[in-house]
Amino acid sequence: MSDYDAIVIGGGHAGIEASLALSRQGFETLLVTQSPDTIGRMSCNPSIGGLAKGNLVREIDALGGEMGKLIDASMIQMRILNRRRGPAVQAPRAQADKFTYSRLAKETLESTPHLHIFMDTVVDILSEDGHASGVRTERGWTITSRAVVLTTGTFMDGRIFIGEYDAPAGRLGEGAAIGLGDSLRSKGFHTGRMKTGTPARVKKSSLDFGEMEVQAGDDPMEAFSFMNDAVDRPSIPCWVTYTNDETHRIIRDNIGRSPLYGGKIVGRGPRYCPSIEDKVVRFPERERHQIFVEPEGIGTEEMYLNGLSSSLPEDVQRAFIHSIPGLRHAEVIRPAYAVEYDYLDPLDLYPTLESKLMKGLFIAGQTNGTSGYEEAAAQGLMAGINASQMLKGEKPLILSRSEAYIGVLIDDLVTKGTKEPYRMFTSRAEHRLILRHDSADRRLTPIASELGLAGNARKERLQVKEHEIAEICSILRSKRVGGKSAYEKLREPETTIEGLGIAELSLFPLSVLTTAELDIKYAGYLERETREVERTKRNENMAIPSDFDYDSVDGISSESKEKFKAVRPLSIGQAMRISGVRVSDIAVLSVAVRSRERG
Amino acid sequence: MPHYSVDDPIYALATPFAPSALAVIRGSGDNVIQLFEPLFTGKLGKAPTNTAVHGYICDQDGRKIDEAIVIKYSKGHGYTSEEAFEIMCHGSLPVIRKISIALERQGIREAERGEFTYRAFMHGRMDLTEAEAVEEIVRSKSDSASSDALQRLSGSIKAEADAIRSTLIDILASLEVQLDYGEDEIPEDWVFPEDEVGHIIARLEAIAATYESSRLYSSGASVVLAGKTNAGKSSLYNAILKENRSIVSAHEGTTRDYIETECMIGDIPVRLFDTAGLRDTEESVEKEGIERTRKLMESADLVVYVLDGNESIPPISGDNLIMVRSKRDITGECGDLSFSSVTGEGVEEVLKAISSRLSADDVPTDVPRIDSERQRSCLLEAAAALRDARAAVSSGEDIVAMYIQLALSALSSLTGAVTTDDILDRLFSSFCLGK
Repeated sequence: MSDYDAIVIGGGHAGIEASLALSRQGFETLLVTQSPDTIGRMSCNPSIGGLAKGNLVREIDALGGEMGKLIDASMIQMRILNRRRGPAVQAPRAQADKFTYSRLAKETLESTPHLHIFMDTVVDILSEDGHASGVRTERGWTITSRAVVLTTGTFMDGRIFIGEYDAPAGRLGEGAAIGLGDSLRSKGFHTGRMKTGTPARVKKSSLDFGEMEVQAGDDPMEAFSFMNDAVDRPSIPCWVTYTNDETHRIIRDNIGRSPLYGGKIVGRGPRYCPSIEDKVVRFPERERHQIFVEPEGIGTEEMYLNGLSSSLPEDVQRAFIHSIPGLRHAEVIRPAYAVEYDYLDPLDLYPTLESKLMKGLFIAGQTNGTSGYEEAAAQGLMAGINASQMLKGEKPLILSRSEAYIGVLIDDLVTKGTKEPYRMFTSRAEHRLILRHDSADRRLTPIASELGLAGNARKERLQVKEHEIAEICSILRSKRVGGKSAYEKLREPETTIEGLGIAELSLFPLSVLTTAELDIKYAGYLERETREVERTKRNENMAIPSDFDYDSVDGISSESKEKFKAVRPLSIGQAMRISGVRVSDIAVLSVAVRSRERG
Repeated sequence: MPHYSVDDPIYALATPFAPSALAVIRGSGDNVIQLFEPLFTGKLGKAPTNTAVHGYICDQDGRKIDEAIVIKYSKGHGYTSEEAFEIMCHGSLPVIRKISIALERQGIREAERGEFTYRAFMHGRMDLTEAEAVEEIVRSKSDSASSDALQRLSGSIKAEADAIRSTLIDILASLEVQLDYGEDEIPEDWVFPEDEVGHIIARLEAIAATYESSRLYSSGASVVLAGKTNAGKSSLYNAILKENRSIVSAHEGTTRDYIETECMIGDIPVRLFDTAGLRDTEESVEKEGIERTRKLMESADLVVYVLDGNESIPPISGDNLIMVRSKRDITGECGDLSFSSVTGEGVEEVLKAISSRLSADDVPTDVPRIDSERQRSCLLEAAAALRDARAAVSSGEDIVAMYIQLALSALSSLTGAVTTDDILDRLFSSFCLGK
């Protein structure tokens, strides 16, 4: 008998979703964390969502995850981004009260039946006959379980850098998890180093707000969770300021003192979220860079300097911060720093997030080379769901690229791997018209219901929404505007549902009206994408056994064979997405797979 | 990435692409009959499966291409087990090409090599052994690898296609950056690059038109063999055709009128004319024949003047003329282009000279030329997608992006596929991003 059904290592955004997904299915789950005080901590920016990331949060929610509810209960500003750039790429983003978010996360875990929290550091993962069987901790405990979910974030052999200073740490002031990386390497896991960074936090009362532009949020605030109709919380502004020649000069003069440019950091950092020194060096023609000054919470004085992440020495940081309008007298509470950490090659994972090297071990979050709270939570949820599917002896849940951004995220990771911290972008998705944030519940809640992840209340809310959309459509069909039905009229780009001025429609919730409007307006494009998806479905549905013997198939080129063996795709569709695989090799493979099936 | 698939409508020529009495073009895939019907005067829709229907094949404008018999197969009956048809038409190269163009325009694409077999197998046609299927695909792989579209592209078209691809990636990256980052981070509005896109559309259509407008490829070139009586024209004609179609005789004046046939010289379909010998004669029938020969020479794309072994200067001149010396076996090699119909020596050189002269004449000044229906339809599809992108500006940037992606994917058979990573790479290298 094992001590627990499952052990989740790490209490970050991935660990939260993984441990909740397991315990809510009734599995006795132990969450091992270095510090229960840091559960759900937002190590970097104080916001959740954004383009493509907001879609991830809504998908997590539609599958019964927690992130949407947590941010709804802790947000201090909310905006729908890119309203005028097209519906497929709009997404919600909220500023969070970090401390409230983290406290609510901890309280949620503590109050969930079957979920147990234990403070220690895991130094080894145990296995029996190639199957994960538990963990060993720093204080000498051996705890057994039937499944293990690994979510170490930036803590595995983490090291932070501030100029000439460096120290082993996962976050500033919090010790790294030492030893786990080595023991995984000795078991044959492929590891690499990645790097990310965070800007300084400064004291609010030391800032000159008169020198900055104010950035207000939307009113009313929309909810992330499909379980909430609206959010009634205070909305606090952010502030915008800019760097200038002086800032850039200070950075250039001191670039040699950067651990990144000095060669101390070897890990690969994200191109999409460069440090300020990167921006100054790579784009010398830019006269200024935008800086967002964001509150870290309601009660706190700490303000986050979004856009100023850096690993330059503290005296340089102070100097360039003080060269910026609004920040001339800023008092630095926490310095900016870079963190370098071990990640595990995601090519060693199946699309279920189960390791190919150890059965029963699921890996999620930044450990897999991603970045971002939302990407971590999405993987944590899927790892938790698939660990419990395994414990139940049932079929795993693999979302396709046309079903969810979560599907795109995991398919990219396990099929192509990643060389820099992977962040979700709308342009990674082929079918983003289908993957709108407002339709996440319609796409995913039925799947969640089947797996027992969605409660009755969630199912009922979806039914009501579907019913309301049908009603809205029939009202629009029955009304005539300018010689055609309101339904037809709405297809014109310049017409909005509000602009039609139909009184009966005011009875419906705004979010449902928007979903109906977008469905009607983009029906032609949606159909086109759906046809495209249908065309590829056969390939997606053609399964390849994970132990398929590629060497036994004649006619596949040796390069492709090596790639197939490294990735071990679970479908022909996935095999096709491996970069550099030849068309004819796919054809031979599919014939071989089909003929094996027939025996 | 182009790949084998099942169910989407495809066609392929089942007989060799060469002049012959009969050609068979097969089509297969969902709704392929419905797609084909507008091109055929016969009543195919109502016909039961496995029956032959007579009628005329017409192009999209209703112009008759050829008289044909079409066999209809409902789903589950044909070779692939998909809905299918087989066109039996005349084996004339222009006819085959025109039908191919018409099919492409109906949205039926040219099949990959081995794709029909692949489909038959995937649909569980058990009369086909697995081994055969695999073998055919493997074989098609080695064929298609050597004729890989990317490598086959000649320098000018490759350079132009790459330039268009790169410009489109730039445009798409400048658009995607707006979709990947919020308006607070990228406050500038995106403006549709009217001039660049307009220029690309024009170029795509001009390149596509090189295929359509080229008489060489649409109706073949006309090549006239001329020369004095008994100079060896018919011998050359026969050597070219490698079959005894014309009358070969040692007596002057046997070929009194002209004889015409279709053949391939290099990859160019050619109407080849063997003409009456040029000489002064009083005989009225023969005189008329010679007169016709002169007219034919005036309108020909190329006149191949066959010099008798003893003859030194031809009696005619012109731009569309090449000289060939015959009876090399008797006179020996003499520096000129020469051949012997007895030994076969030099015939190949003559053919090469003909085809290089023909294709040199055909290259339009500054537009690279393409050489297949597939390429042409890809280019036109890309141009259409860009027009759609322009028209969608008021609908939203996500829709515009979708059309530009479509244009890039249409071009992928000429340029190679563009992946989302290509776009992101361009985006990160061109824009300063990230808070």
